[in-house]
Amino acid sequence: MSETPTVVIVDDHRIFRSGVRAELGEAVEVLGEAESIEDAVRAITELEPDVVLLDVHMPGGGGVEVIGQVSKARPQQRFLALSVSDDPKDVIAIVRAGARGYVTKTITGDELADAVRRVRDGDAVFSPRLAGFVLDAFAGDLPAEEVDPELDQLTAREREVLRYIARGYLYKEIALRLSISVKTVEAHVSSVLRKLQLSNRHELSRWAVSRRLVD
Amino acid sequence: MARRLTAERVARARSQERAEVAAHLHDSVLQTLALVQKRADEPEEVAKLARRQERELRSWLAGEGPARPGERVADALKAVAVEVEEQHGAAVEAVVVGDASLDERLEALVASTREALTNAAKFASDGGPVRLYAEIDSGWVKVFVDDRGPGFDTETLPEDRRGIRESIIGRMERYGGKAEIRTGNGEGTEVELTMNVETR
Repeated sequence: MSETPTVVIVDDHRIFRSGVRAELGEAVEVLGEAESIEDAVRAITELEPDVVLLDVHMPGGGGVEVIGQVSKARPQQRFLALSVSDDPKDVIAIVRAGARGYVTKTITGDELADAVRRVRDGDAVFSPRLAGFVLDAFAGDLPAEEVDPELDQLTAREREVLRYIARGYLYKEIALRLSISVKTVEAHVSSVLRKLQLSNRHELSRWAVSRRLVD
Repeated sequence: MARRLTAERVARARSQERAEVAAHLHDSVLQTLALVQKRADEPEEVAKLARRQERELRSWLAGEGPARPGERVADALKAVAVEVEEQHGAAVEAVVVGDASLDERLEALVASTREALTNAAKFASDGGPVRLYAEIDSGWVKVFVDDRGPGFDTETLPEDRRGIRESIIGRMERYGGKAEIRTGNGEGTEVELTMNVETR
């Protein structure tokens, strides 16, 4: 699984697409680009990349729409959201739609290539900000009868891992600090991703809105 | 008749809204772009201008109410991150989870955070961004300041780092809190601040 991963870049800004292509260099093979939802769906189903680098905001429904349409034909397709937005609403929506990670556009080329490899290998990729959102979303206790412990709560270890990610630590640094293997760190992050995607936790659906109203 | 009046009112409101957006973009983004062109040969200054504008535009787009750094600990911490970034030109990335009302002890925590960030920004040259992570839970608040700078030896604290002992460790202890510093030559520095509080 160590071959060069292949990607399709989906973004409605051409300057940005060429920027990403340049940043990725030789580490990732760019099979194609798309600037609209239709183009994207066609390119992805034709080119079958390992990973789709997906913008969150695009005319006509954005990344969430692309995931929805592609998944019908290619349910196994992996997506990594790459966005300038750090609005929790956008971030949580795209991850719940099925993206295996979320990174912001200020990421360096090396980090992005590493994130692509991780997503290709089935792991999850969280930016520090996403880790912060998740900790926020899963904060607070629910009434016991409403809790599905499998999905609605993070374990102490998962919280610990997320805290390190929020502080900007790399997976291998987290592994070192917690005396666990990188594989175990990845397993914790994947488990958090699954909870984020599947939990019906009340806060997750209302959270982005309520954050603004309650304080 | 009533319907036409409503339609006119809607149209008027729309054009007013458009005018406000245009005015805002003019005063903010266009001004910054003009400055960026003028100072194109000063990369650090340009990066600073771009970051400031980005922050401003984001908070405007998000429709955030005015921050209340004098009342809420989350806003206060974000404000010191911005302050240090502006003063020292090093990028400071802040992630804050939870919130609480400021009290005397939390104000001391914010002041210690400012000192830790300032130290990191001064000494973490080229080590990537300085990171601030804060978590506010019921009963306690924790702040981490991490940098990837050269680090230092805590035993032989250099003269210009005395601020750490007084302004961070001393202050936290006076208010019943705790400061831990982990560092070593070439290993970056982490500062962990803990304050037990009654939140809300």
